[in-house]
Amino acid sequence: MPTLPDLLFYALAGFTLLFGFLCVANPFSRNPVTSAMFLVLTIISMAGLFVLLQAFFLAAVQVLVYAGAVMVLFLFVIMLLDIKEEERRRLNKAALGIGGVAVLAIAGLLVRALVQATPLASAAGQRAEGSTKPLGRLLFTEYLLPFEILSVLLLVAMVGVILLSKKEMK
Amino acid sequence: MNYMELLGALAPEAIVVLTALVALAVDLLVLRQAPQNARQVVAVSITAVGILAAIIALSVAAPSPPWMDGLLINHSTTAFLKQTLLVLALVAGILSIQSRFTQHTGEYVTLLLLSTVGMMLLVSSDNLLLMFVALELTSLPLYVLTAFNKESPSSSEASLKYFLIGSLSAACLLFGISLLYGLSGGITWTQLATTLRAGSEPIVYLALILTLIGFAFKVAAAPFHLWAPDVYQGAPTPVAAFIASGSKIASFYMFARIFMAALPGTAGSAAWSGATPGWVPLVAALAVVSMILGNVAAIAQRSVKRLLAYSAIGHAGYALLAILSNTEQGMGSLLYYVVTYAVTAMGAFAVVNVIERDVQAPNGESLTDFAGLSRRSPLLSLCLLVFVLSLAGIPPLAGFFGKFYIFIATAQSGTSQGLIWLVMLAIGTSAISLYYYLQILKQVYVVESVGQPTPVQLRPAESACIVAMACTVLILGCAPNWLINRFSPNSTEVRRAGVITKPSTTLELAAEIHPRITAPLGTATGLVQKRPQFETTTANAQ
Repeated sequence: MPTLPDLLFYALAGFTLLFGFLCVANPFSRNPVTSAMFLVLTIISMAGLFVLLQAFFLAAVQVLVYAGAVMVLFLFVIMLLDIKEEERRRLNKAALGIGGVAVLAIAGLLVRALVQATPLASAAGQRAEGSTKPLGRLLFTEYLLPFEILSVLLLVAMVGVILLSKKEMK
Repeated sequence: MNYMELLGALAPEAIVVLTALVALAVDLLVLRQAPQNARQVVAVSITAVGILAAIIALSVAAPSPPWMDGLLINHSTTAFLKQTLLVLALVAGILSIQSRFTQHTGEYVTLLLLSTVGMMLLVSSDNLLLMFVALELTSLPLYVLTAFNKESPSSSEASLKYFLIGSLSAACLLFGISLLYGLSGGITWTQLATTLRAGSEPIVYLALILTLIGFAFKVAAAPFHLWAPDVYQGAPTPVAAFIASGSKIASFYMFARIFMAALPGTAGSAAWSGATPGWVPLVAALAVVSMILGNVAAIAQRSVKRLLAYSAIGHAGYALLAILSNTEQGMGSLLYYVVTYAVTAMGAFAVVNVIERDVQAPNGESLTDFAGLSRRSPLLSLCLLVFVLSLAGIPPLAGFFGKFYIFIATAQSGTSQGLIWLVMLAIGTSAISLYYYLQILKQVYVVESVGQPTPVQLRPAESACIVAMACTVLILGCAPNWLINRFSPNSTEVRRAGVITKPSTTLELAAEIHPRITAPLGTATGLVQKRPQFETTTANAQ
């Protein structure tokens, strides 16, 4: 008998996959704004998954930063650039075949792994506490170094974006 | 846990980050109105000072024990690799002086240095989290650097391809390492090595495949190589040189460490008769495809940069042989190989850089632009001769010993020479590769140039770099013991994490062929004859 969290997990995971699929390959609309909206729904379903894992901080960040701030920027860009409906591309048959084989191989492996898997005896490691305080403590003590390296990564992204988007002056 | 300790362990990286910021600030705040050439010289001088300081900091730093429960690791091998990376970054900076691909010198140097920081951290990282962050820090600046030439559409196209394929590979890698974390409950090599065993869970294989795909993209092993020819051709030549050298060293070292040190229990075997599942047969498949495809496709190339890209794919195949040997000796031979290869590739690209500036063709250089180079610049052609012959693996140059050590390590590693078929294939593809390497030399030394041969313009700093790299290739080829001995005794952390080493069987045979060459290999394997004990990590249980 599945419990309520189990049912919620399957529902949210299903929504994530469905909306993710609709975001990249919507059969009804080729409008970029629709895709962006489905991306918002995907992110919100993922935030729900984080809540189920009791990672409340991550869930909040997911909604505030990704579904909120980042997606607003996405929409700004789409509307400012006035991107029209995307044309249907002619698909390369050979590439499609090779890609299909690779996808089927990976999917087959995944299915086989799922079928043969035994329930893990030790649910990997101790359960991480996901509320803000322990997470912040970990980030600023044990994982300070990766955290600081990310700041350098953001600097790289900033320099790179300014450089690439600037008009060359002669 | 102490913040000063952290800063002390990371002093060289901190110095390089500071240098990058200073170079950016000086270029943007002080030298805005200065002529382009002065800005380039100032930026590269600041880089040189910073890199020199970091190299000194690395050489005086005491090797620290695995730090913070396996977050970072610093010992003499990582220090040497970091110094090599820094020198390569400096050469890539020097090569860009007077090149016209960009006016943003400060940003160029900054991104180059920050990418180097990523590589240095990658070499040092001792767990999955730091590894992934460092890998991203390595790649992101390289994507931007590839697009630096805004006037060339092929530069932007190459960058977009590199970025998209790189992101996809990062996603695969992340999926793989998240499965590894889920299966083992730990992120350090020791935690992974003690928990993961082949056959315990079928999903282990999925994790292995996804992790492998991520790394195969990074080292441009076929069939995940499609970005490499476009990027090598489209990127500004100094950037392509850095991608071909620096990022190769860091990625291969991490590739080898994650599989040898963290996943020894899932190795399997690629022996001709009696292969068992695991990562070794997967790496063997990648190696076979890379060696054949890289060396055969290179024959058809007309652009030297594309040719070097396919040759890099072939060389990735040889380096994969060292990884799948899964012994400490294999690790030593891999490091010798990638370091010498990096120097050689950097040198070859430096020569291409000179020719490209000389030709000024809109579509970049082609093989025929090298015609009659020996009359136009004997020094440059001599250096190119050294680089190309080393890539082809002709003794007494470094490339020959790189391949030789790898073949010995691979042949010895399998039980009863089960891997000898891979070595045979590698020797066969090496023979094929001679053809296209000699094509370059034929253009340089045999074919006459069109019209009156004019001397090639060479700058002093650039020619000094090229000559120094050619001498390095020659010296490392004449005295390979010096380098291989640096790597053999101190890969202790590999042994600590439990690499399974097999007793040597063909070593005696190789020693009969040439006692002097195999002497360092003997000491290397002599060290690991005793079976490693798996350390039970109490940290895991706590």
